[in-house]
Amino acid sequence: MKTKKFNARIWACRIGAVLLLLAIAAVMLVIGRGHTVYFDNKTLETESGTYEAIRKITVNVGGERVAKLGAKERGMATTIGQSITFELVIQREKNGDEETVEYTLKLPYSMDGIIVNLPALLEGQPEEVYLSEFIPAPEPVTEEDEELPGEDEMDMVGDI
Amino acid sequence: MKKNSFNLGEFLKNNSVPIMFIVICSICIPLAGYSPAYLLNEIVTRMGRNIFLILSLLIPIMAGMGLNFGMTLGAMAGEIALIFVADLQIWGIPGIVLAMIISIPFSVMLGLLCGKILNMAKGREMVTSYIISYFINGVYQLVVLYMMGALIPIAHSTIKLPRGYGIRNTVSLLSMRQSLDNALAIRVFGAKIPLLTFAIIALMCLGIIWFRRTKLGQDMRAVGQDMEVARDAGINVERTRLISIVISTVLAGFGMIIYLQNMGNMSTYSSHTQIGMFCIAALLVGGASVDKASIGNVFLGVILFHLMFIVAPNAGAKITGDSMIGEYFRVFVSYGVITLALVMYEVKKRRAKAGMGRQLAAEQQMEGKNED
Repeated sequence: MKTKKFNARIWACRIGAVLLLLAIAAVMLVIGRGHTVYFDNKTLETESGTYEAIRKITVNVGGERVAKLGAKERGMATTIGQSITFELVIQREKNGDEETVEYTLKLPYSMDGIIVNLPALLEGQPEEVYLSEFIPAPEPVTEEDEELPGEDEMDMVGDI
Repeated sequence: MKKNSFNLGEFLKNNSVPIMFIVICSICIPLAGYSPAYLLNEIVTRMGRNIFLILSLLIPIMAGMGLNFGMTLGAMAGEIALIFVADLQIWGIPGIVLAMIISIPFSVMLGLLCGKILNMAKGREMVTSYIISYFINGVYQLVVLYMMGALIPIAHSTIKLPRGYGIRNTVSLLSMRQSLDNALAIRVFGAKIPLLTFAIIALMCLGIIWFRRTKLGQDMRAVGQDMEVARDAGINVERTRLISIVISTVLAGFGMIIYLQNMGNMSTYSSHTQIGMFCIAALLVGGASVDKASIGNVFLGVILFHLMFIVAPNAGAKITGDSMIGEYFRVFVSYGVITLALVMYEVKKRRAKAGMGRQLAAEQQMEGKNED
């Protein structure tokens, strides 16, 4: 009977290829993680103190203005990766001077939506204070209105 | 010495489908009234979207397995990978790369299954692969509609059905929409040229040319020409055929991911059902046949078939006053061209067989006369 010879070189190549793909996948998981960052200019009350909303803050991400926030307002930006760098242009009083500060924040991998409280961040508070998870409101339970397979014939219509 | 004369009749007979489409398009284009810039933009977009998928059909044709209707299996693997990537919230090009990697094991598994079955149904590969795609579509629906969210963890409610398990009819791929096409894109005469997508397609074409020259590629061509001769030459026919289907399925998975990133959303339960038919129709429109297809056929097919697709509704509306006529026209042309190609292939095969029979009979007659 013909038996197949174990070819160590071929198996090493195969295992190497699988490991390479796994490594690329791991890298993609890290560098491709998308987050939505919400910038809050709202008064935050915590045990450590109260951080008052600022009159006007402009948020720039990657040189592009993503939000211009008055007190009690929220803006948002989407980002890919594990950190976000943004620039804040702050005006504390009407007709007052503008100051510009730049921040780079590490984003928690497990959070899709992240709220950054800007007054607390500007006060130099730790991450636990200025950063929290954005939890979307639960969808109202409705009757299923989606047409699922079996409910309609699938045919060749539409664009390709 | 071989005489290299041009035979117009033979040329028309061999290229009847592309010629027919050139005629249809040249009638419909002026009627549709689109600007050249618009047509160019649409064609370039559709080339980037579809060519990779159609290229995946070339390898099984090389191995003599005909038009791989089983490419739908690869498309399903690509869709499953995209569901996972959308749930993992991996965006942009990393999301596309990750989806391609995730699709590989699914594609290989499905390709192996399809290849094994096709090896049991030699000579009936096309109809068998067509039915396999229906069978796997049922399994896909079972997994996606009932297991995802229940047995297979899916975290995001935007992907899950409101009942808590199963995937929604449409999965948004906005986070990776055209990220491949927009990277390195340039504008020429008002048309966006997705350079990165075309670079990937060019690499794939070079890969196919290189593959044809490898030992495995040569084996596939030998198997495609004559299985028995290939077997006598020591080629493992079954293994070679199996590999061709696996490669095709994996490439179809990648192609589907490229296709869907361009669209920006995924119709979970119907995207893949149409894809095999349209890709095969486009390839045949390019002048390919069941046993012969080239990269040139792919490009010509995509241009002609999609040109017809773009202009048909408007041309139909102008001619009949109802754009739905154009819509129906392009659908029946898709099916019609496949039927025509299959009939022509069968007629050609029978004629060749009859010719060989006549030649053999004549030779035997001659031998009989010589013996007398």
